[in-house]
Amino acid sequence: MSDSRDGTVAAQTPPKWGATEMLPLPARFNGAVRALAAKRFAATDADWKDVVFDRQFDLFSLADARAIEQEALDSGYRFDFSATVSLESEPDKYKRPEKAASSFAEGPSADGRRQVGVGDNVLRKAETVTGPVALISTTEQVMGFLADGVPAGTIAVIDDSGGTLTAPIIEGFAGVICLGGSVRSHLGILAREYDVPTLMNCTIDTLRDGDVVEIEVTAAPPAADAYETGDTGHARIWILEKGA
Amino acid sequence: MGTELTYAKLLESNNYLRQLSDTTYWLCITRTVQESKLFPMNPYMLLSYLNSFYRLPTLLREIDSVTPAEELGDRAREVSLKVDTVNAAWGMPAFYLIGREMLMNWGLLGPADAVDDVVDVLDFSRRFNLAYHRNDGHLTNKEFGDRSQFLPERTLQVFEADLHGVTPGDRLHTAATKLIAQLSQYAFLAHCECRIGIHNSGPYNFGDNRQLVVRDFFELTEGDYPWLDGIATQLPFSNLTIPIVFKDTNFHLMDDWASFEAEPSYAAANIAAVGMYTSDALTDGYVPVGMENAEVLAETMEQYREILNQATADLWKRIATWTREQMIDAGALVYSSVAKDFAHLAGTYRQSDWFELDDRVQRFKPLMNDEYGRDNLGEMVGLLGFPHQKTNEYTMARYSGLNQNMLTGIPYTVLTDDDFARTAGAALSGSSSLPPKNGLWTTSAGRLELDEYNRRAREFTPAVLTGGNRYLDEEWVKRNHTSERADALYRLAQRGSRNLEGRGAGLRRADLP
Repeated sequence: MSDSRDGTVAAQTPPKWGATEMLPLPARFNGAVRALAAKRFAATDADWKDVVFDRQFDLFSLADARAIEQEALDSGYRFDFSATVSLESEPDKYKRPEKAASSFAEGPSADGRRQVGVGDNVLRKAETVTGPVALISTTEQVMGFLADGVPAGTIAVIDDSGGTLTAPIIEGFAGVICLGGSVRSHLGILAREYDVPTLMNCTIDTLRDGDVVEIEVTAAPPAADAYETGDTGHARIWILEKGA
Repeated sequence: MGTELTYAKLLESNNYLRQLSDTTYWLCITRTVQESKLFPMNPYMLLSYLNSFYRLPTLLREIDSVTPAEELGDRAREVSLKVDTVNAAWGMPAFYLIGREMLMNWGLLGPADAVDDVVDVLDFSRRFNLAYHRNDGHLTNKEFGDRSQFLPERTLQVFEADLHGVTPGDRLHTAATKLIAQLSQYAFLAHCECRIGIHNSGPYNFGDNRQLVVRDFFELTEGDYPWLDGIATQLPFSNLTIPIVFKDTNFHLMDDWASFEAEPSYAAANIAAVGMYTSDALTDGYVPVGMENAEVLAETMEQYREILNQATADLWKRIATWTREQMIDAGALVYSSVAKDFAHLAGTYRQSDWFELDDRVQRFKPLMNDEYGRDNLGEMVGLLGFPHQKTNEYTMARYSGLNQNMLTGIPYTVLTDDDFARTAGAALSGSSSLPPKNGLWTTSAGRLELDEYNRRAREFTPAVLTGGNRYLDEEWVKRNHTSERADALYRLAQRGSRNLEGRGAGLRRADLP
């Protein structure tokens, strides 16, 4: 029941103008599903219209999905994680987070401070903000701040541009340094609504809990097309040197 | 629905599909990055699209048979309902079609398969959007140049007359900005990090270099989401609308995700007036909330802010205990239920229809690790790298200029060939790892059991849509504003208005108090 010379149905005929996905894991997983579905359909000896929905679990099942994942894991592949719950609940499946190497070439010292990063200012303020940093990336840390309160003047360093991880405590920060996203990210939107001085999309040198930094929230926010043109990173971050 | 397939119908369907495809691509590459350390967002998004594909046509057919899509569009045009720009106008058809792309890429679906479903979903969506946008005459915000102006003059006049003026630092200005921040925060959390609990529309010209933006926040307490049982129950309403007048700010973009851009950027210091209202499937127009005077409004906003501040902490602690699968199920169900409030309007709502992941979807869960979720989504909606998304080498798509489209059209051979299945089927079977829904439904008529909520919804039609009122549009008003019928129509919108009660249809801006 096919117009194809090789007898495959339209649903499973490789398309004329595309070859495979550009990213490795989609190519691997999707290719495996495609190959399995084609093999399973060929074995039915039935018309496509009688298989596509009526026998869809014969084409692909929960066990098949598990086998595809297991094949990747058995080959030594480990997945990138995005949510901490993924790493915590299935640690054997995910790559451990590596301590990021310093990503900002630090500037010279002057006036008792040294530039350690740049970012995109969300909302222009009249004065810069200075305070000790707290590095936050887990629900346990947020739970701790919820129980004990956020110390006055704290500047949060958050590697998540989402708005939910720090939802119950965001208002308590004197400032935020976010290591991802853009001024349009959910955290950027909330920072604007809460009027919390915030730099998004930051590139920083290594910071440790308690380091005192100054963030240049007096800088102009990025232009509307900044993320298309790459004209970003104009707000500076300095560390105040001890004894200064 | 159950539309007969004709060449003309397919041409119309494919045209609408291509517009959705182009707009969705533009939204995905220009607007924002979806990311969360708390929720595995990308895995849940992929599963939600599949859930939409398998379930939506069946659910829409039932709704459409009770309350036709164009009547639902009429309802959404009069007040703020969760079937809005981002959820119903864009999300509902887009999520369904993206799920179809995933299955096609896996070789588990052909472009002709489920053709009856695809045509019905698009037909429903198109009729809803045409009625929703009746006052501006467009199909989408994008088609209108990224504007969203669906409210009629009679409603906007009430807003203009009744909103309370503010200046930065006064009690109401402070209360309003703090409540809006809290509502935004809570809405992101209640919706598992996605933005669909927040809606913005407008801008509307308010004269003197002022613009009105209408900001809506949905699902604020017990209702459809099982995880909101017992959360924010002191709040008397599930939805709040906060119209805001800005001075010296031009909202130059209001996109199909109901988010805006302004020049200069949105700043609380430029807020000149605010108000607060509620509306839902049972309200006859917008209901004022604390609008008696500025002090009462400020006090109400402060009180709601306190409730939601506590609710944010309570909900966050609940979510923080969830397993990965529970987070994924919740997020997927938030996305795949974007059309659920159609069922509330029609009075056909069943919890299992909207808050279970279909068995046909559950089988794909083991594929959905974080990396695959991220990269497969990026491949599908950003890179357009699925092999079948490529088109012939001479073509240049809108926005990208490349030979690729996000969404696949329906082949016209469905009119002549027969080796395809016309529908994914109407039998729904599914499950969820989340605790079941046990609480009540918070409505403007009080906290109700579901059967009672459905019964009231089935029996209710807003007065502005009863009888011939439905067809009294702005073009009619232009030539009939001196008539009794026009006065009666405007008086419906003026019910409960502090300054315009009973004033009728003859007012212009200069006449407003």
